Amino acid sequence: MKLKELAERLNLELTTPNAPMEAEVKTGYSSDLLSDVLANSIEGDLWVTRQTHLNIVAIAVMRDLSGILLVNGAQPDPDTLEKAAEKMIPIFRTTLPTFEIVGRLHQLGISGQR
Amino acid sequence: MLELSMHILDIAQNSLRAQAKGVEIRVLEDLGKDLLRVEVLDDGRGMSPETVKRVTDPFYTTRPSRVAGLGVPFLKEAAEQCGGGLEVHSREGKGTRIVATFQLDHFDRAPLGDMGETLAILITGNPEVEFLYEHRVNGRTYRLDTREMREILGPVGLGDPSVFAFIRQDVQQGLKAIGAATFPQTMNLLGGRENP
Repeated sequence: MKLKELAERLNLELTTPNAPMEAEVKTGYSSDLLSDVLANSIEGDLWVTRQTHLNIVAIAVMRDLSGILLVNGAQPDPDTLEKAAEKMIPIFRTTLPTFEIVGRLHQLGISGQR
Repeated sequence: MLELSMHILDIAQNSLRAQAKGVEIRVLEDLGKDLLRVEVLDDGRGMSPETVKRVTDPFYTTRPSRVAGLGVPFLKEAAEQCGGGLEVHSREGKGTRIVATFQLDHFDRAPLGDMGETLAILITGNPEVEFLYEHRVNGRTYRLDTREMREILGPVGLGDPSVFAFIRQDVQQGLKAIGAATFPQTMNLLGGRENP
């Protein structure tokens, strides 16, 4: 499913207005430990996390992730948003907790299989 | 806890519960050694050697209202997660010193967070206690000392609501001025740290 459609169906708020939304998302990964994401995420993953600081953008760039989804209503830090805009990384927000949003993503066909 | 400022708040609140009249929070960033050291010292009632051994146990607490005290174990976990560790030194009747070390630029090192808010909460909520915050980054130092603040504020006092915003802003600006590492800067693609 395209990122854009996922965002619409799950009511995700896009915090980076000019980021690309056409990527086809097939897989996702969820972790708040950056080293874990670096080691275990795969290209194209939508990353679900509660971390908001600048380095989440670096991880997304290094691992070619399709986007970052912040849970529990977390707000990205201002410098995170700035860098995400520069690196064209979409960052979404949801008020839902991780378990719930990951469940809904899975129902829409997004897999966690490596 | 996602930020060091929250860990520090928790540890300092332990000091206050131990009836400390003075609390020192010292943060050192050594870029050359890739080291971050966070130290909280107090002159509270201290702990026996047996208690010191138990404080890193998450099911140990001095508060009857809780079944577990997680401040120290959480900080220990946060430190060990990124190549550091935690030490607890204490003497009964003298006070306690907690030292947490971190690899400064480790991927999983918790960001510093809002130290301004942490200090504003501690100071305005406990105007009778003396706090010293010292943050050093390779030779540059930011200091906030309630003894000095008392002299400047005079009769207004540290408990005044206007003091909260002042402290918060002073710390935030002070840390920015010395180039404090608010989060690990491991990744070159984001541009390296500006070396002061």
